[in-house]
This record gives sequence, structure tokens and C-alpha cells, in this order.
Amino acid sequence: MKRVYLGEFEEIVLLIVAVLEGAAYGVNIMHEILEQTGRSVRLNQVHASLQRLEEKGMIVSKMSDPTPERGGRRKRIFSITAYGSSTLRDIQQVRATLWSAVPSNLKSFTA
Amino acid sequence: MNHFQVPPSPPRWATRLLHWYCAPELLEEVQGDMLEEFYFQCRHNGVAAARRDYVRNVLGFMRPFAIKRKSSPSYPLLPMNMIGHYFTVALRQVLRHKAFSAINVVGLAIGMTCCMAIFLWVADEKAVDNFHAKGDQLYNVYMNVRSASGVESVYNTPRRYYDSAVHILYEDAKEVVPEVEGIAYYATGYSMPWGKAETFQVGDKIYKLEGSRASNDFLTMFSYPVIAGDPKTALQDIKGLAISRKMANLFFGSPEEAIGKSIRYENKRDFQVTAVFEDLTPQSSRKFEFLTNWDAHLKGGMEWSSNNMEATFLLAAGANPEEVAVKINKLVQPRLDKNQPYSVEIGLQPYRDQYLRANFSNGKPSGGRIEYVRIFSGVAIFILVIACINFMNLATARSVKRAKEVGVRKVIGSPRVYLIGQFFGESLLLSFFALALSLLLLQVLLPVFNSVTGKNLVAPITSLPTWITLIALALITGILAGSYPALFLSSLKPVRVLKGAVQFTQNAIWFRKGLAVFQFGLSILLLIATIVVSQQTSYMQSMNLGYNKENLLYFTIEGELSKYDKFQAFKQKALQLPGVRVIDRSSEAPHAMKFLVDDNDGSAETDEKDESAIKWEGREKGQMVGFKPTSVGFDFVKLMDLHVVEGRTFSRDNATDSADAFLVNEQAVKEMGMKDPIGKWVSAWKKKGHIIGVLKDYNINSLHERIRPLIVDVKEYEYFGVILVRTEAGKTKEVLAGLENVYKELNPNYPFSFRFVEEDYNDMYRNEQVMSKLSNGFAVLAIIVSCLGLLGLVMFSAEQRTREIGIRKALGATVSSIVSLLSQDFVKIVLVSFVLATPIAAYLMHQWLNGFAFKIDLSWWIFGIAGMAALVLALLTISFQAIQSARANPVESLRSE
Repeated sequence: MKRVYLGEFEEIVLLIVAVLEGAAYGVNIMHEILEQTGRSVRLNQVHASLQRLEEKGMIVSKMSDPTPERGGRRKRIFSITAYGSSTLRDIQQVRATLWSAVPSNLKSFTA
Repeated sequence: MNHFQVPPSPPRWATRLLHWYCAPELLEEVQGDMLEEFYFQCRHNGVAAARRDYVRNVLGFMRPFAIKRKSSPSYPLLPMNMIGHYFTVALRQVLRHKAFSAINVVGLAIGMTCCMAIFLWVADEKAVDNFHAKGDQLYNVYMNVRSASGVESVYNTPRRYYDSAVHILYEDAKEVVPEVEGIAYYATGYSMPWGKAETFQVGDKIYKLEGSRASNDFLTMFSYPVIAGDPKTALQDIKGLAISRKMANLFFGSPEEAIGKSIRYENKRDFQVTAVFEDLTPQSSRKFEFLTNWDAHLKGGMEWSSNNMEATFLLAAGANPEEVAVKINKLVQPRLDKNQPYSVEIGLQPYRDQYLRANFSNGKPSGGRIEYVRIFSGVAIFILVIACINFMNLATARSVKRAKEVGVRKVIGSPRVYLIGQFFGESLLLSFFALALSLLLLQVLLPVFNSVTGKNLVAPITSLPTWITLIALALITGILAGSYPALFLSSLKPVRVLKGAVQFTQNAIWFRKGLAVFQFGLSILLLIATIVVSQQTSYMQSMNLGYNKENLLYFTIEGELSKYDKFQAFKQKALQLPGVRVIDRSSEAPHAMKFLVDDNDGSAETDEKDESAIKWEGREKGQMVGFKPTSVGFDFVKLMDLHVVEGRTFSRDNATDSADAFLVNEQAVKEMGMKDPIGKWVSAWKKKGHIIGVLKDYNINSLHERIRPLIVDVKEYEYFGVILVRTEAGKTKEVLAGLENVYKELNPNYPFSFRFVEEDYNDMYRNEQVMSKLSNGFAVLAIIVSCLGLLGLVMFSAEQRTREIGIRKALGATVSSIVSLLSQDFVKIVLVSFVLATPIAAYLMHQWLNGFAFKIDLSWWIFGIAGMAALVLALLTISFQAIQSARANPVESLRSE
């Protein structure tokens, strides 16, 4: 299997993009991360991470129509690509396999 | 109070900062997100917190990912698919504006031709004496002689007479100073007109040839190719003689045949040919057909033409010439005569510099021909710059028309680089056209240039470096000339251009005017230089020299004519020839007297203390005056048309005149410090006598030198010198035929070879004549190029104002008022450039004239004429177009609306 490198934060951003489904853009993603994970992140971190993901081909973007709440500016809307979602699945699978191999006492201990 | 307040806004400076650093393609989304977040924060945490958060965000985004500009799809400057298009468009432009293009190409071609011709000349000048393989190690000796009257620097060798022989003061330098690997001596003063050709004979073949004497190391130190014989030993033996291929062929048929053969010199002594060298190229400043052994010269009793000997040192590779000079000086100082009223110091100059830097100031080499080289290089670049300025000026002026094109191209999506590429492409196309044309021109003009400069320049069109240089020249010219339009036009904003709002800014107009002023300033400068140089040249040619140089010929006394009775017989017979008016003799060619005695030249031929050759009544001890001595016949004063200001001239009726009488010139009286010179005693060497008359000063050498003290006595029996013949005007041919017959009869072993004084005189000013012709030529070219540029600008301005002119005419303007309307601006340009150029020209010309002892004044009319000429030419050029536009029928110009 081709090894895909995805940082932990990148993985979260990618997951959020998948979750938001067509409404993912900078501020929105930032708020969603806070809500879902309780993690407070800065806007620039989100943007940098989005840019990297786009370079890796996991997400694509297009500009939306102008919106009044942003002073008539457009948003860049991100959506996950097939490659992105297959990468997420791969990661998920690796985790699942590893998790099933973990001794049961540990599972119950942590649970 | 109104609660409807202005919506909160983030700090403006932060927004501005963001605008400044953020990549433009990211700005919209980033700023949008920030604003959205700002409003969000405002609602939840209050305005102040929101503003703080905004600032944090702005600062947080200062990361490479946000700052880095997207590398726009890298447009190459020469996109392959666009090249064809560039050329098509460029060609269309060229063809549509035939007049503009022609002006551009012709102007540029003239500039390039000048540049090439001058740089060929410069390369040729620089190649002189620069072909020796050991050139880096060859150093010429110069002597600085310091006396009460200042420092004089000469290429000479210090020597003293002791143990009944002449000793060169550093003759053992090779043994004593480790850095010195070789010393070559070379005697100068053997070339015409001052020296003379010497006579060689093998069997019945007699030829006169000019050559010199050189020491043994000469042929191994310098790279004169030796084709037969051994250069190491050729000049070792006192009978040794090295000859040129030409001389070998003359006497022996081939160089190989010549080796070992005996050859008779001046019917006095025999030399043996030990080496044959290749004929000298013009690249050698020393000209000689033969070289005799040095000892034959120094000790062997050969006659000296001058006491000038040049010495060249071969230093070890990497030796420091200054240190060597110090060592040589240490060697020389104790050997100098302590009683001389002057000090001598040795200096070393790279041998290759001698040709271009032979002038000295304060004991250091300071200039010479190199100044001409610099001046002309400057002129070449000037003319090229003028042509480039034309190009820029025209292209800039036309850019209003091209601006729309630029707008359309930008709207269609052309990136700026493509436009820059297009404009550079056009100017390069034109500059390569110009290059081709200038190569043609050069081929046509080079023979003319050669005949003016007396060089034999060939355009080296077969060598690769030449082509590289030429292509570089065209590239530089093209890029220089195209830079303004390329960079300016491509920066225009399409919206404004297409709205028709392109106006030249005040700066652009100033820029164009500035260029035109600069260009005309240069032309006026050259024009002034031309007038000054040609005035000075003709001044020297027509100057009253104090003697009559016309119809005066001379030849050397030699062979049988050296005998007193044969000379008298010759004189008698020649005087009977029709057309011969006066005939007499002089020990020196009277128009080129270089022999100077008692001048502090640092070499002493005798070891007597305080011994000067010439003394006079009332002379203070140690007082020295550099005299030019000559011994003449009784009719000399009449022959030369000299004026006696005091006393009388020599006379045969006066029995004592040949033993006792001296004439001196006014300068001599002044320098000796005599009052009432007539009757005072003077002595020259062993001869003592009295002054019988004072001659009005006349020029006894070239006008570069001031008139020196002159002392003349009568010696009709002297075995050397020249015979001078004054002929009647228009009878030269008959006289020459008659003289040749008499000569052959009396002196059968020598060929009759004569020179005209006037010819020699003109030869002395060859440099100035070449300068004068060249500067004439270049000034004309510069003016032509400038006027072409002006013409282009006027054409453009007239075209721009076609409608204005039409309306003015329709409203009743006269032709003359429209012409003056169009001319005003340009006349101002010419006036401003005149005002700027004049002081610079005055300064430069003043410097140049300082090199002459006799010079013209820089009077105001020279500048006036140059200014008027420039103005008139400019007006003519302008009116050429202006009248045409002014006479056009207004219907034609207004119909197009």
C-alpha cells in the first residue's frame, strides 16, 4: 500500500471538510473544530492546512458567490475528493485493524 | 442619541498591512474569513476583543504560505509560439512607418559604422609594440633630468666618457641586479628627415636604406621573427649585421643566400650578414631595415646621428619594476658626475606603453597618443549613444499610437513579459538591420578611412570574436534603444489606455526633451571641436615660419660631395641650371633641427669639468643654455629668406667671416642675457669668434616645440649636412632633371634622392591633419544623426497635430505662423543644448590647445558659428517637415473626423 502522510491536524481538518459537506470554508471549519473537538485553533493554521491538503489533492476548492456578511467577498468552499476520502478510509482501516489486535484487558481498562 | 451607530470595523492599519503582504490571489478569501470572524467575535466577545483578535489574525497570517506569490504560469520572455508573431508584427510596423523606420535604421547604422571604424583604429593603435612575446617583462628606461629649470624626461641612456671610451652607467646591471635578465640598446635618430638613409653596396648594387644599431640581446628580447641566422649571436661580433627580408632580397635574392655574405657600408667599412629578420609590420613603432652591431656604434667609430640611445630591460617574470628601478638608481648614482648642475634619475616604463604614453609630466609618464585613442573612443560611443537616443526618442514618441495596441493586447490576455518581449524584439530586429547595413557601409568606407588615417585596417569579418563582438553590439544597442518603450509601454493600464486617457506625464516629456538636448549638446560639442582643430591645423600650415618653405628642396651630403672642391663644383654647375635661384649648404636640415647642445639631457660626452660646448661673453659660471647649432654656407640667409634684425649677415667680401663670424637668433640673445650683442665674443667648441648679426626668430623645428636659441657659423668644408636648393616657382621639373644629371656626374656612386621642405613640414603635422579630417568627418556624422532624430520628432509632432493645424488653417493661420508653431519647441532645445555644451567644449579645447607652443585663440566666433550651424541645420530639418504639414489642405486633415 502506498504510504500517505497525513498529519494529525490535517486529518482533523480533512474530516471536518467531509463532515461539513459543501459548506466548508476557513472560519466555518475553525468553528466546527472547536465545537467537535474542543480544540481552539487559529485561522492561519486552518488556512495553511487547507492549502497543504489541496496541494496533496485530498480536497478541491471553488469560489462561492459573494456574500454580504463578508463585505461582498467570496468564500473559498472546499470539498473532499475521492482520493481524500479513500485516504481517510485507509487510515480508519489501519486503526481498526490495530485496535482489534490490542489485548482485550487493555480495551476494557481504557474503556 | 442615535443608537444606530456605524458598524464596528477592524483596525485599518492591520487591514492595510494585510493588503501589503498577502498574496493577491489569497487576499479575498483570507480577508473574508477574517471579517466574518471579526463580526462573529463582535457579537460574542465585544468590539475590543474582536479588534484584538483581528490583529492577532493578521499577524498570524504572516507566514510563507500566505506571503508567497503564486508563481504565475512562468511566461518565458521568448515564448516559442509567439516568435513568429513578434516578427510579423515588427515587420508590419517597420513597413507601415517607412520614414520612421528608415530614420531609425540609417541613424543607427551610421552610429555603428563609426563605432566599428573607430574601434578598429583603436585596436590597431593598441597593437603597436604590443606583439612581443615577452612584452610583460620588457621595460623601457627613461631618464628624469632635474635642474634649476625643472624636470625633463627623455628616453635615453646615461653615460660618461672615461678610460678613453663611452661607458653606459648601468652596463653591468645584468650581473649586479638579479632581476635584470637582459638589456637591449637601440640608437634612435637615424630615420628621416633628421637622420638619413645609409648607403649599402654589394658589387654594383647600391641602395640607401634606413636602419639603426642595436645590442646583442635585442633580437632575443623582442619578437622580430628571424628567418635565417641565429638571433642569439647575430649582433655579437663587431662586423655583425642583421637585415630585413626585403634588404636580403634586394642584394642577394633570398634570405638564405644572404647569410655570411659581406656588405659594404657607406664605402667605409664592411659588415657581414649574420641574420635576416622578417620585414617589420606596421605594428612596430621602430622602423629599421638593418641593425648593426652595438660596439661598432659605441666604440667602433661609426658616425652618430644623435646621441640618443634607448635602453630596454628584460626583467625576470614577476619582478617589480619599481624595485628594479630603485636598484638601478643605486647602481647609477655613484657613477654620475657630481659637478653637473643637474641630477639624473632612472625610471622604467612598460615597453608596450611607449607608443601611446610618451609624454611626461613631472617625471612620470602621463599621456601622449593615448589621448587621441581616448578622445576617439569617446566620440565613437557618443555617436552610438546619439543614435540610440534617436531610437528611444522616436519609439517613445510613437508610443501614443502603440498604447492602444498595448491595451488591446492586455485585454486579450497578454502578460507583461510578452509585451516587453515584443518591444525588445522590434528594437532588436531594427538593430540587426542596422548592423547589416553598417557592415556594408564599413566595407565601402574603410578604404577612405584608411587613406585618411594612414593605416591599413581590414575589417576582420572572418574571425569568430569579431562576430561575437558585433552581435553583442547589436544586442546592447537594441536593448538599450528598446528599453524605454519596452518597459514604459508594457506598464500601461489597459483600461485607461482604451478610454483614450493616455497622456504623457510631464516626466516623460522632460525625458524626451532631455534626450534631445543631450544629443544636440554632443553634436555642438563635436562641431566646436572640429572648427578648433581645423583652425589650428590650417594655422600651423599657413603660419609665417620666419622662412620661406616653398620651392625649397634638399638632399644629404655624402660620397664625393663630402669633399670641399666637389661641393663647390656642384654648386657652380647647379647654379647655371635654369630655374635654380640659390643653392647652399647647412649641417642640419634647417626646418627640423633636433641637435641640441648644452641642454641638461643628463649625458656627458666629455669628462672635462664645467665644459659646455658653447660659451659667450659675460657667461656666469655653470650657466647653460640649450643651443641648436648649425654650420652653413655664405648664402644661407638669402637662401632661406631670413631677416636680420641687427647687424649684418655673412659676406664673402669679409675675409674674417668664415673664421670669426657668428649669427644668433633673438631667443639666444635673450637667454644668454646679452645687451648689445653685436661684436661680443662667442665660442662653439674650439671655434671662437664674434657675433656679427642677430636673426629674427624663425621656426627651426616643428611647432610643437618653442623656438630655441640658435647659433650659426660658416663652414663650407664640413663633410656632412644637407644641400639646399631654392628653385623658381613652376620650374621644379626642369630643375630636378638638371640637378640629377649634375649629381650623377659628380657623385656617381650615390643615388640622387631629394625631399621638399614643404613635404617634410606637412609630414610633421600628419597627426594633426588626421585629427582634423577625422573630427570633421565625425562631426558631420553626428550632426546628420542628430538631425535625423530631430526630423523624426518633428514628423511625429506634426502628425499628432494634424487636426490642430487643419483647424488653425481653416481659421486663417498662415503657413509661416504654423511653421513657427512647429519649430518653437525644437529651437528651444537647440538653444539649451548650445548653452550647456559651450563651456564644456571651451574647457576641452583649451586643454587640447595646450599641447601646442603656437596656437590659435579660442575666440567667441568659433562658438557662435557652431551654435548658428546647429541652429540652421536644425531649422532646415524641421522646416522640411513643418512646411509640408503647414501647406497641407485643411480639408484633407479634417475630413477624417
